[in-house]
Amino acid sequence: MDAGSTDPDPRLAALLSDDPEELFENAPCGYLSARPDGTVVKVNRTLCGWLDRPREQVLGARFDRLLSVGGRVLVQTHLVPLLRTQGEVREMVLDLIRRDGSSLPCLVHAREVRDPDGVPLLVRLTLFDATARRRYERELLAAQRAAEESEVRSRTLQRVVGELSAAVTPGDVAAVVARRSRRAVGARAAGLWLVDEPSGVGDGEPRVALAAQDGLGDDLVRELDRTTAGRVGAVLSSGVRSVPVGPQLAAAWPALAAALTAAGHTGLVVAPVAADDRLLGALAVFLGPGGSTGGLLSLVDPTGPPVLEEADVDLLATLGRQAGQALERARLHEVTRQQAERSGFLLDAARLLAGATGVAETVERLAEMVVPRLADMCLVDLVTEQGMDRAVARHGDPARQHLVDELRAWAPPYRELPHPARAAMEQGRTRWFRDVTDEWLAGVVRDPAELAAVRALELSDVVSVPLQAEGRTLGVLTLSADRRRRPFTAADVELAEQLAVQVAMVTSKAQRFDFELQTSHTLQATLLPPGPPAVPGLAIAVRYLAATQGADIGGDFYDVAPLSGDGTGQVAIAVGDVVGHDITAAATMGQLRSVYRALLVESPAPSVVVDRLQASWPLLGLQRMATALFAVLSPADGGLTVASAGHPPPLVVGSGRAGFLPVRPSPMLGAAAVPAATWRGVLTPGDTLVLYTDGLVESRTSDIDEGLERLREAAVRWSGAPPDELVDRLLTELTGTHRADDIALLALTCGP
Amino acid sequence: MVASARDVVRVTGAATARPMVLVHGFGCDQEMWRLVVPDLATDHRVVTFDLVGFGRSDVRGYDRERYGTLHGHAADVVALCRELELRDVVLVGHSVSAIIAVLAQQQAPELFGALVLIGPNPRYVDDGDYTGGFSRDDIAALLDALDSNQLAWSAAMGPAIMGNPDRPELAEELTASFCRTDPGVARHFARVTFLSDNRADLPGVTVPTLVLQCADDVIAPEVVGRYVHRAVPGSTFVQLAATGHCPHLSAPAETVAAIRAFLEGAR
Repeated sequence: MDAGSTDPDPRLAALLSDDPEELFENAPCGYLSARPDGTVVKVNRTLCGWLDRPREQVLGARFDRLLSVGGRVLVQTHLVPLLRTQGEVREMVLDLIRRDGSSLPCLVHAREVRDPDGVPLLVRLTLFDATARRRYERELLAAQRAAEESEVRSRTLQRVVGELSAAVTPGDVAAVVARRSRRAVGARAAGLWLVDEPSGVGDGEPRVALAAQDGLGDDLVRELDRTTAGRVGAVLSSGVRSVPVGPQLAAAWPALAAALTAAGHTGLVVAPVAADDRLLGALAVFLGPGGSTGGLLSLVDPTGPPVLEEADVDLLATLGRQAGQALERARLHEVTRQQAERSGFLLDAARLLAGATGVAETVERLAEMVVPRLADMCLVDLVTEQGMDRAVARHGDPARQHLVDELRAWAPPYRELPHPARAAMEQGRTRWFRDVTDEWLAGVVRDPAELAAVRALELSDVVSVPLQAEGRTLGVLTLSADRRRRPFTAADVELAEQLAVQVAMVTSKAQRFDFELQTSHTLQATLLPPGPPAVPGLAIAVRYLAATQGADIGGDFYDVAPLSGDGTGQVAIAVGDVVGHDITAAATMGQLRSVYRALLVESPAPSVVVDRLQASWPLLGLQRMATALFAVLSPADGGLTVASAGHPPPLVVGSGRAGFLPVRPSPMLGAAAVPAATWRGVLTPGDTLVLYTDGLVESRTSDIDEGLERLREAAVRWSGAPPDELVDRLLTELTGTHRADDIALLALTCGP
Repeated sequence: MVASARDVVRVTGAATARPMVLVHGFGCDQEMWRLVVPDLATDHRVVTFDLVGFGRSDVRGYDRERYGTLHGHAADVVALCRELELRDVVLVGHSVSAIIAVLAQQQAPELFGALVLIGPNPRYVDDGDYTGGFSRDDIAALLDALDSNQLAWSAAMGPAIMGNPDRPELAEELTASFCRTDPGVARHFARVTFLSDNRADLPGVTVPTLVLQCADDVIAPEVVGRYVHRAVPGSTFVQLAATGHCPHLSAPAETVAAIRAFLEGAR
């Protein structure tokens, strides 16, 4: 306003001359005076207009009755104490309630008027319309709440991250996530379902299993299990989803909706659990009245639809991702641990199997290993000469052993039933039957009794692995898990396959060993001559000892045969040693002996025998060389003719003496063909001719000359003994319990 | 709490007199008691203090987990009494602190000789047959209203605290009062106060108890006061002429007289 103005506007003058009453009544703010107890004693027109009430209604009313509920509480908890303690209140926000029930936010100033003694007389209030300010405040408030809630959520997340880092197993991780998710969003319950590890066997929908839950009842868990089958893909691929328990759910899944309603849930929110875009499972929180809010009441209307704030939805999504990462870490840890465990198992198996000496022992040890560490039941069927045979059937639970025994339909000879062992044998590959059903079981047994047995086994998984080695299928290993154990994993099946490889190799070796043992017994029976013939005027003792290692027969041989053709009563004697003491040596010896016997038909002289054998050696295709000594003895006069092919010299034992005959050996049979020398002499009646192979005089620790001398000395000590006793004494004195080589020993005494 | 609360604990009256601990209620601090302390201190050793998070207490000590229920505050009351080596304490709780007093008495029965509950309400939200005085919507609106005011005060009073040269006395008084309350703490405490349900704790009280009921108390209606009286074994119910929720402010003489009469009767 211009200070120099001399012409004031008459209208302004009129306004300025308004009486104070007019100013009070029509002021741009509300005025109200009340007694200390709140009774309104004065109010201006402006405020009455705001309230849309006549002055008479306002006067005499309690001031706080003009306010919203919140306002009333504020007046009693804040306005009154402030006025009493400070005398004045400024800028309190109170909502007036108009006649139509709408509210008008006001900014209120209040001052207490007291008498000189400080006793309150009156409260004067000034109210300003704060609609615009309230709008602004609400925005501020919303932002502040969001910030605070985000702080709470970030604390929740920090706590979850902390707990997850301490979780070792996937089970621990799941438990933390379920518990924390429930608390974080104030849910009534929470559960975490995980997809089974990819198995590579079977296809279609992945299986999910409840890994952890917090507050879910058994009934609901069961119903959820049923519902999740076949629905996992859809749920997991659609991000965080809110599912109200309503008509739509009831139409699609009546049983689930009923179970949810029975448990008091009004809705659920499902969030994917994922790591690097790989879906590992789903996190579900169940909403409804009485959700956990840290011991405080919930203001959510229990009859209304479930509400989850957007920020909580985001929090769940984040928890899902955190869970995914932690699961990956825990699984890696578990896989590492399991691998170590499996390696240990296979190593144990290798040690145990290595000690087995036959097929029967091998499969017995296998069953011991497998049950119950890897499986509940272990069956091994092997191919034998007579066809398939059940080698072992073992159940980890002795109470169920009889069920396995009753399950003859699953034992060879296989019926025309498509059961696992048969399938694995025929297809030559592992067959894994997961989560076997009653229908499946009914298809692989013959009659109700067997069905009852197989049902009582409570099988969940059956795996059959063919036992293959050196291109042959030796049999089949069948393992099963029952419902009390967790189902087989792909890693279990792989372990079974690795075990099968080991078992097949050991079984193959054991079968070969069994075969060789049997063969050598047969050969021995065929090749070794029977007891010596009875020859007049001659006492004969023979001994044959195989080496203590390897087959029961070696390449040593002896032969005593009367030369009956010439009518002289002469006896042809042979002793020989094919190099080695295995099956080949035995076979060579057999051939050598056959050829020698054939030669005897012509009653040849010993040197001739040597020469003929040398000549025919290449023709016979004999693989080994041999030493041999051939002799012809005339019991009547003691006349003796000897020829040696690289063989140790004969020993002659008389009364109190013993000496080697100076026979000059020609080369070994199979070596260079040099004409053999002949030694001729006469045995004194009563003298004993001792023929032997080098196993008697040779050992790994001493040379042959020492051995010969020990033989001679022993023979002197026992020179008076008859042939049978002599050979036993010599064997006892010269050989220990361990023989590195075979021994053939003959003693012949020309007697009166 | 106790160490940080040293400067918020005020002790008035003869050291030999019976101890009386006054616990302020929701919305204020120990200033609430200033009109009754002089009178009570004539024959009691009166202890007032600020709950953690309020008045001059160290707001950093306000742990939302510890004070997520009223038990945390009750434990603080017990700790304070132990530190001051008080026995046979008359524990006076106003509003929400009436419930804190009920909890404290049961945490340490050996410390307390009597309870005075001024305007107690163990559960504000109506629940079936129980009347707490508020619907869920009311409480939601109330929490909204409190939030609005926390915002208004913190925004408007900042300059006053910083120093208003024209009215230094205002700055001082406000500094001593609500502006001291951290808005976040106030909001959290409001939730704990109005969303708690401590009805089940009432029957466990084992000392003589006075329920002081005002007229026209929006926060603790008479029906609730009568409920508390029925639930606390052997309690005394006194209906005051005072209106509102703060008789110790609006009718200090009547309030003191009622307490004194009760204590004498209980002797």
